[in-house]
Amino acid sequence: MNDIRSGDAMLTDWREAAGRFERAVRGAVVGQDRAIRLLTIALFARGHVLLEGDVGVGKTTLLRAVARALGGAYERIEGTVDMMPSDLIYHTYLADDGRPRVEPGPVLRQSEDLSIFFFNEINRARPQVHSLLLRLMAERSLTAFNREYRFPNLQVFADRNRVEREETFELPAAARDRFLMEIGLEAPRDAEARRALVFDPRFHDTDALIAGIDGGVLDHAAMAGIGAAIQHGIQASPAIEAYVVGLWEALVRPHEAGIRLPGIDMSALIQGGASPRGVAFLVRAARVRAWLEGRDWLVPEDIRAIFPEVMAHRVFLEPIYEMRRSTIVPELCRAVFDTVPAP
Amino acid sequence: MRRLAPLLFLLCSSLAAQSQVRTVEVRTPRPFGYFLGDLVRAQVDIVVEPGFALQAASLPQPGAITYWLDLRTVAVTQASVGGGSRVRLDLTYQNFYAALDARALEIPGFVVTFVSETDTGATTAKAQVPPWSFNISPLREVQPPAQEDPRNYLRPDGRVASLDTQPLVVGGAGFMAMALLAFAGLTWDRTWWPFAKREGRAFAACLRRLRVLAGRREDEAAYETALLALHRALDETDGRRVLADDLPAFLIRHPAYARERAGLAAFLDASRHSFFGPGPAATMQRLPLADIVALTRKLTAIERES
Repeated sequence: MNDIRSGDAMLTDWREAAGRFERAVRGAVVGQDRAIRLLTIALFARGHVLLEGDVGVGKTTLLRAVARALGGAYERIEGTVDMMPSDLIYHTYLADDGRPRVEPGPVLRQSEDLSIFFFNEINRARPQVHSLLLRLMAERSLTAFNREYRFPNLQVFADRNRVEREETFELPAAARDRFLMEIGLEAPRDAEARRALVFDPRFHDTDALIAGIDGGVLDHAAMAGIGAAIQHGIQASPAIEAYVVGLWEALVRPHEAGIRLPGIDMSALIQGGASPRGVAFLVRAARVRAWLEGRDWLVPEDIRAIFPEVMAHRVFLEPIYEMRRSTIVPELCRAVFDTVPAP
Repeated sequence: MRRLAPLLFLLCSSLAAQSQVRTVEVRTPRPFGYFLGDLVRAQVDIVVEPGFALQAASLPQPGAITYWLDLRTVAVTQASVGGGSRVRLDLTYQNFYAALDARALEIPGFVVTFVSETDTGATTAKAQVPPWSFNISPLREVQPPAQEDPRNYLRPDGRVASLDTQPLVVGGAGFMAMALLAFAGLTWDRTWWPFAKREGRAFAACLRRLRVLAGRREDEAAYETALLALHRALDETDGRRVLADDLPAFLIRHPAYARERAGLAAFLDASRHSFFGPGPAATMQRLPLADIVALTRKLTAIERES
């Protein structure tokens, strides 16, 4: 990074690569441009992503497409009620010769090259499994077989559907806080995209669809380095720092910021959350967005574009309001941006 | 002028004259109440056949007529009336008769000649204006008893009824109230004091602040304060925070401002560069404070119209 020009040129090249990556994924997953843009941001911000949405809107397809376009080692596992943390780490069975064998589980199988770990239906797994994920996500390391494994390139993608509540386990707050983004996925509204999804046979065979994506668009091994370069290369002015702190304050203490939502006691709405780690993630993701937009300084629009996905799941409401979370939190986010002065 | 019963004389010296001079009429304001030195006015209307014109030489000449009567002025006006030609003489006499008692005096008549000139020759017609009389009264005191002090003959000034000023005062007050009301309306419309903080006139308040800022000094702090002031006005107009990317949505919500789209875009871009990007120094060159004031002035005008 001593030579600024070459650093700039590298960032520019990678911006074009990111554009190619987005186009490749968009070719397989139609009508989800915003989710694809957010996933791209998460990739370059080196953050874990939780996808949430209805059944059959393409959560799994989207994550598979992203994993395919990114390249690198990839593992997936389906969450079940009887899954135990050890199921992720090792696999025991009786071999053909009748002797018991212990093999590495999905997390360890690819050893330390693992770049994407895809956890399907994460809310069906027990809290014990979630606890294992805590360390894996926060520190990108795991202790097994009397040694410590490190996964420098690991990103955890998880999805859950929000329809079923039976035999599911709500993610603990600590686990949710470790996800960079929680992206809500809706079926596309655009009539053209809907028609294509229903009638175009290309979208019916998911495996062929994913296989059609060019796997070498991004160099997955260099992602960590470029992610760090972006974080250093994008400047944040004092005004944007004050703005982010103002947003944070208004989100945690909406009553004092003068935010009023109809039918809600604002002073007794927020229980906690919006951790410093969360706000740091917010700025991290915003820097990536500024870079994707071709700027080397942050603007409030960068913060706003990723704010709901990064911050909404980190806010914990009082239990009385928790059931109406899906309507209250977006309104709160909107009110925060309507209230806090930008420059 | 009050006219008393007109005197009407018809002269019928001959058949031809009868047909040529139709009527002679003498009108006087009043036949009584004259004193020494008063002006006696008379109006003589003579209607003649068309084609006949007055012979000016036949008019009585101003000057002394008798020892007690002067003719002061003679004015002639002509008009065509009812198929004939009317000649009106306005005569002003002055009476110098020092009467010792009330008596009637006669102003002598005179003859006026009219001429109609044709190819074959000239026809003349004479109109005989008859004499008329008026009563004069003496100036000396005859009836009232003798007074020691001549000033006592003077009667006190007539008492003039005092005019009622009430309607004028009420009317004046009413119009004053209407004027004040209209001025209050103007104050409200222009958001002058005390309506300076008026709801929905954010740009007007902003313009006042910018003028103060622009008049004071031009440095980076003042420039950023000006940017902030216009930002707050935009926010207040929209009821939410307007960022640079929100301009299209803002113009959809407030289409009146669409004609300042370029100016607003330049302002938002300048603000973005100033606060979040390279800093205000470079931005001030591109969009000086005067331009921001001009933009705000236009926005204020739109705000007032809408």
